[in-house]
Amino acid sequence: MIDAARRKWDRAARTYDFVTRADERRYGRAKQQLFETMHGRCLMLAVGTGHDLAHCPPGLTIHALDISRAMLERAREPAAHYPGRVMLVQMDARRLAFRDATFDSIATVCTFCSVPDPVVGLRELHRVLKPDGRLLLFEHVRSRVGPIAMMQDLLTPLSRRLGPDLNRDTFGNVARAGFRVVREENVYLDIVKAGEAVRGVG
Amino acid sequence: MATAAAIHAVIAPGWDMVVAMLVGAAIGTTVHLAAMALCGPFLGMWQVMVPGSIIGMYGGMLFGMRNSMQAAGWAEVLIVGALLGICAVAAVQIYDGVLRGPRAGAE
Repeated sequence: MIDAARRKWDRAARTYDFVTRADERRYGRAKQQLFETMHGRCLMLAVGTGHDLAHCPPGLTIHALDISRAMLERAREPAAHYPGRVMLVQMDARRLAFRDATFDSIATVCTFCSVPDPVVGLRELHRVLKPDGRLLLFEHVRSRVGPIAMMQDLLTPLSRRLGPDLNRDTFGNVARAGFRVVREENVYLDIVKAGEAVRGVG
Repeated sequence: MATAAAIHAVIAPGWDMVVAMLVGAAIGTTVHLAAMALCGPFLGMWQVMVPGSIIGMYGGMLFGMRNSMQAAGWAEVLIVGALLGICAVAAVQIYDGVLRGPRAGAE
């Protein structure tokens, strides 16, 4: 499963910036606002081609992970331009090679629509986040509006072949992994959301 | 408009209404997927996908049923198709305005 996911995102790396260019324009400001509280040691999950690094505050030390080597190759240039320190690492979100309570801030952008076993991945984030740390999420999720949700369900078998699932309950998964969601904001309909979560009890 | 035109080219009066509805939905969804691939990178994936799916899937059903029941001219087909498209895009934009912002329930 992991090799299949890696191959899929290696293929997607070729066209990713072109396909997401309008989304980047539309959501850049919302991402910037979400990430402005990032501080200390930071983890950015599924950094992709690296364009989200431009929305991070300057001066941070960021461990930027992705499962795809091709994505990380493309992220080199944005990482080099970031006014801080970025370490690009190929790693599976479900098996993070970091000690418990390592990071002050963790940022994810459209990540848990793709990670197989999302709750397992989110539990890993729970483990490596410091007790007073913050998980910052910019994710698309399944709508609660029936006709739109049905469309997302119908298109997911197709979209999954090329990229992400369209119908994940990511904020529900965040809670299932032991986080407490402290802010949830709709950015486009109730599909594209920005949010913050902290470690819950346990 | 593209959905209405594609369906008009395929479904003719006399088709069984249920079959026409299903075929209309299938054609509409296919047109929607093509529109998403072409326009998504320029307008935004979700911004194309959501109104496109409403027009394609649900509009496709309506156009299919309409074409099975009456002989409509190309001008009527295209005007009604454009009207449905405008209404769907406007409705989604208004609904986006309603939903946008912090969600009650989170702390």
